[in-house]
Order: sequence, then structure tokens, then C-alpha cells
Amino acid sequence: MSNLLQIEGVWKVYHLGKIDVEVLRGVDLNIKKGEFITVLGPSGSGKSTLLNMMSCLDTPTKGRVVFEGEDVSHMSEDELATVRGKNIGFIFQQFNLLMHLTALENVTIPTVFQGTSRAEREKKATSLLDSVDLLERVDHRPGELSGGEKQRVAIARALVNSPDVIVADEPTGNVDSKTGEKIMNILKDLNKEGKTVIVVTHDEDLVPYADRAIRIKDGQIV
Amino acid sequence: MIGEYFRIAVRNLRVRSMRSWLTILGIVIGIFLVISLVSLSEGVKDTVMNELDMMGGNLIMVVPGDISDMMTTLIGGLELEDRDVDAIKRVRGVDAVLEMPWASEMVRHEQKARMSLLYGVSYDSGFSIVREDMGWDVVEGRFPHQGRREIMVGNLVPKDLFPDLQVGDQLTIKGSKFTVTGIMRSLGNREDDLAIPMDLDDFRNITGKREGTPIAIARVAEGYDVETVEQEIRYALEDTRVRGKGEDSPSFSVLSSDAVSDIVGNVMGVLQIAVFAFASISIIVGGIGITNTMYTSVRERTREIGILKAVGAKRKHITSIFLVESGIIGLIGGVGGVVLGVALAKGIELYLGAGGMFYIEAHISLPLILFGLGFSFLVGCVSGLLPARRASRMQPVDALRYE
Ligand SMILES: Nc1ncnc2c1ncn2[C@@H]1O[C@H](COP(=O)(O)OP(=O)(O)OP(=O)(O)O)[C@@H](O)[C@H]1O
Ligand SMILES: [Mg+2]
Repeated sequence: MSNLLQIEGVWKVYHLGKIDVEVLRGVDLNIKKGEFITVLGPSGSGKSTLLNMMSCLDTPTKGRVVFEGEDVSHMSEDELATVRGKNIGFIFQQFNLLMHLTALENVTIPTVFQGTSRAEREKKATSLLDSVDLLERVDHRPGELSGGEKQRVAIARALVNSPDVIVADEPTGNVDSKTGEKIMNILKDLNKEGKTVIVVTHDEDLVPYADRAIRIKDGQIV
Repeated sequence: MIGEYFRIAVRNLRVRSMRSWLTILGIVIGIFLVISLVSLSEGVKDTVMNELDMMGGNLIMVVPGDISDMMTTLIGGLELEDRDVDAIKRVRGVDAVLEMPWASEMVRHEQKARMSLLYGVSYDSGFSIVREDMGWDVVEGRFPHQGRREIMVGNLVPKDLFPDLQVGDQLTIKGSKFTVTGIMRSLGNREDDLAIPMDLDDFRNITGKREGTPIAIARVAEGYDVETVEQEIRYALEDTRVRGKGEDSPSFSVLSSDAVSDIVGNVMGVLQIAVFAFASISIIVGGIGITNTMYTSVRERTREIGILKAVGAKRKHITSIFLVESGIIGLIGGVGGVVLGVALAKGIELYLGAGGMFYIEAHISLPLILFGLGFSFLVGCVSGLLPARRASRMQPVDALRYE
């Protein structure tokens, strides 16, 4: 399988006043297309920060990130936005839905910036909500949905631009274990359909879903 | 795409409806002031200029004293004497001279007695000027004749002063009886329409004042240049006063009706610019309100901005979302301001019209309304620029971490 992502000697350093916080300290990593990866580690170890690098949300202080053969380490913010919009679907621990939009509108949001026509958008979004069993919830706002339902809306949103990669930061962190299982199964199914899935978690129970577990401690892979 | 931003914006404004309406109110007030003040002042200007336009271009106004001090000239009782008037009459190119003294006297009709303003207008010479050059006319009856103790009355006299007065009735002024032969056409303002013009000789007999007039209006004969005649009048007046009475520096104001129109037009123009400027300042204050609201909104929606950026929004997308929102605030404010402004201007027009005080037609032009709407939208957009810029420059990671 071909490489999706190469991470070469990546450092991320935050400057807090006079103190430099080294969050990532020389990470090397290769991810192939179609892999299911979990990134594990204790709180504060730098999992989310690493995921931000892998998902083109942020750029490293030092080192290189190559996404689908293209060096994204020095891209401008707008160029990164284009890469994310086309190739990457995001799932967050906090769901991060827009509170005053309906489930359907939330799912269509990423397509707005791709210039898809409205009819096409709504068709796609409806079928995605159907695939996560939320067809009768299309007009509900996040406030009227349970945690598991919100996360499924978020999954539908992550899929709406048909990305190759799904990244999820603690997707089961705010739901009970049964709902968590359901969500992981959806991700597993997506992986079987050919999507690369990267899940950040500190929950060892999620390891069996993945092809490979990457463990990180103090900003380094162990 | 714009449609989508529009939907997002409307949704956000609704979510924060109280704050949105207060911000909109700031613009409403500004646009309301512009529309109502500008349309009314335009109306006042129209009315005044119309009245001046009724005076033909071949008239020259002569008042004693300095025109820049006109109020004291009129109130202070400076008058032109008979010899001044004669001097004007002798100037080459002067066709006729209208003297127009006035006084308030008690006027009786049957059992009623009212104070009224009387004008002295010589029926033989002055009448041709008021009729031909100043638009005086009768709507009922006919013009009075000289020497027959006939008078006509202002348009509002039979309405407000003596409600049952009819053509043919008699009015008693200081013991002398006069027959009303006509009711005048409105002259455009209440004061003139409540006045009673009478023959200059009768006026002088009644008031006992043998000579003097606070104003004289000379008509330039055909074929003569108004400016030249104006200059000649000035020389003639100075001559009479200096030689005849030994005054050092007599002052008269000699103005053609065009010059008067120019002066009034300029004054009104300056007034309008001032009105416009002040109202515009209040719109700018409203714009600062929008900026403030938008900054607050950007801060509150930091996380939302982070989400939008994560899923692929570029800087220009974020900028547009916030600009559309502030533009809508401006535009709604503009619509509200235009509606209220037009309502007030029309209301004042109706109120003044009903009271018969002063006839103003609120001048609500399409360009003014378009200006109101366009300017409010523009102020909205410009006010949103800085907040939108701040929003567009947020780093997605930082925005997503924002609690
Ligand atoms: N923008 C930032 N500025 C300063 N410090 C940061 C920033 N982002 C992350 N950090 C710090 O970097 C370290 C790692 O953060 P990160 O979020 O990657 O950890 P994590 O492994 O995801 O932890 P958790 O399991 O609690 O989510 C933490 O100490 C955090 O405080
Ligand atoms: Mg984390």
C-alpha cells in the first residue's frame, strides 16, 4: 500500500512567556493508505498535538509533514484549509456541532466552502444521516440530541466531502461505553470501505479495532 | 454561497436578538435623522425659493441700513423717506416703485373685532408690481379700485379671522368703512394670508403716518439692465442723503431679486449641509455600535470559527460570513430608518398643512431613500471589517481550544 502520511523529525514547541514547552520532540511516523491507527498515551503526552500535525490543522516548529506526497509543513493557512476540506474528515471529543443549526445543516457545512450546489449538498447529507440511523433527526438541533446522536451527526459531517482520511480525537470520550462501541464500529466499517482512520485515545479498549497502535509519551513515540 | 452566509447570519442575529435589535436601533436613528431632516429642509428650501421665484427677475428691493443687519433694519424702524422714494422713481430705467409700509390695527366685521396686519400698497402704481411680478391674485371677487374705499383680504381672513366674511361685506378700520371686493390667492405663508392690503392713501389716513416705508421695490423697465439700474439707484440714494441732509455715510441695501434668491439659496444650502453632516455623524456612531457588537460576536463564536476552519473554511469565507452579518445589520437599520424618517417627514407636512401655518412639502426623493439604504449597508460592511479580519486570522487550533 502506498504512503498516505510521512512525519519526519517533527517538533512542536510552544512559547509560553520565557518558557519553551516542547510538546512533540522528534516524531517519525509513516501511515499507509487504508490503515486504521490508534494513537495512545497519557494525558498531556502530545496526542492531540500530533493529530493536529497529521490532519493539517497545524504546522510543526521543526521537521516535515508530507501528506499524499506533498510537503504541507510550510503551506499557508488557506492552502492547508483546502487540503483539509478536500481530504480530511474531523471528529472531536466535544462533538463541535454548531448549536443553532439543525443536524442536516451541520452536516452540509463543510460542503459550503467547496461550492457544491445546495440540492446536491442536502441529498448527500440526508443519505449520510440515514447511514448513521438519524434520518428522523435531520431537523433537530444539537441541543435536542443525545451524546451518541451528536457524535453520529459529527461522523456524517466528517464524511460529507468524501475524504480519504478520518481523524477522531477521543471520539468516545463523552459517550457511554455501549455508544462508544457503536461509534467505533461505524469507524471500522468506514475503514473497510477504504478510508484511512486515525483515532486518538487514552482508552486501551479501542486498540483491538486498529491495525496498529502508536504509543506516545512526553512527546516521543515509544 | 452568499445565500448560505445570509442564512448563517440571520440565524446568528436571531440567536442574539436583543443585542442585534439594539445595534440595529443605532443605525435606525441615524438614517431616520438623515431622511427626515434632509427631506424637511429640502421642503423648506422649496417653499422659500418658490415664494422668491414668484417675484420676477426685474425687481430691485431697497431697504434702509445694511442687509447683513436686516433684522435690526426692519425691527429697528429704519425707514425710507418720501424723498428717497422720489429719488428712486427718478432713476432712468425705473418703471414703477412699490412702497409697502405695514401696521397692526383693530379691524371690525359686524360684531367681531380682531387685530390684523395692514399693508399699504398704492393701487395706482404699486398694484401693477404685486399683480404682475409678485403673483398676487384674487380667488374670489375682484381687485379693489382706488378712491372707492375698497379693499381685498388675505386668503385666510375669511377662514380664521372672520369666519362668515363674504365678498361685498364691510370692514371697519379705525372708524372708516371699507367694502371687501376680493379674497386673495394664498401667498404661501400664514402671516401674509392673514393680512389685509389696502390703498397706500387710505393706509396713511388711518395710521396718521404721512410718509415712510421700511421697504421699496422698484421695477426695471424693459430694455434696461437690472444691474446698471441697481447701481444707479444706489448713487441716487447716496446723493439725496449726502447733499440733501449732510449725512456722511448713509447706508442702503439695494438688491435685485436674483441676488436675494442667491443669498437665501446659499444660506439654505449651508444649513442643509450642516443638517446632513450632523445626521451622518449619528450614522457613524451607529456604525461604531456595529463594530462593537461584531467584536463581541467574534469572541463568542471563536469555537465556531475554529470548527468552520477545520472543515475547510478559508480566510475569505470567514470574512464574508461576518461582513454579510454586519451588512445585514446596517441594511435592516437603514430600512427602519427610512420608514420612520418618511413617516415623520410626512407627519410634519400634514400637521403643518392642517394648521395652515407654513406649507412645506416634505421632499422625499428616490435618491435620498436609495442613499439611506446604500449608506446604511455600506456603514454596516465597513463597521464589520475589523472584526471580520480578526475572525479570519484566528488559528484553527487555537480557536478550537477556546473555552
Ligand atoms: N496552544 C498551546 N499553547 C500552549 N501549550 C499547549 C498548546 N497546545 C497544547 N499545549 C500543551 O501541550 C501539551 C500536550 O497537549 P495535547 O493536547 O497534545 O495533549 P493530549 O495528549 O492530547 O492530552 P489529553 O489526553 O488530555 O487530551 C499539554 O501540556 C498542553 O498544555
Ligand atoms: Mg487531547
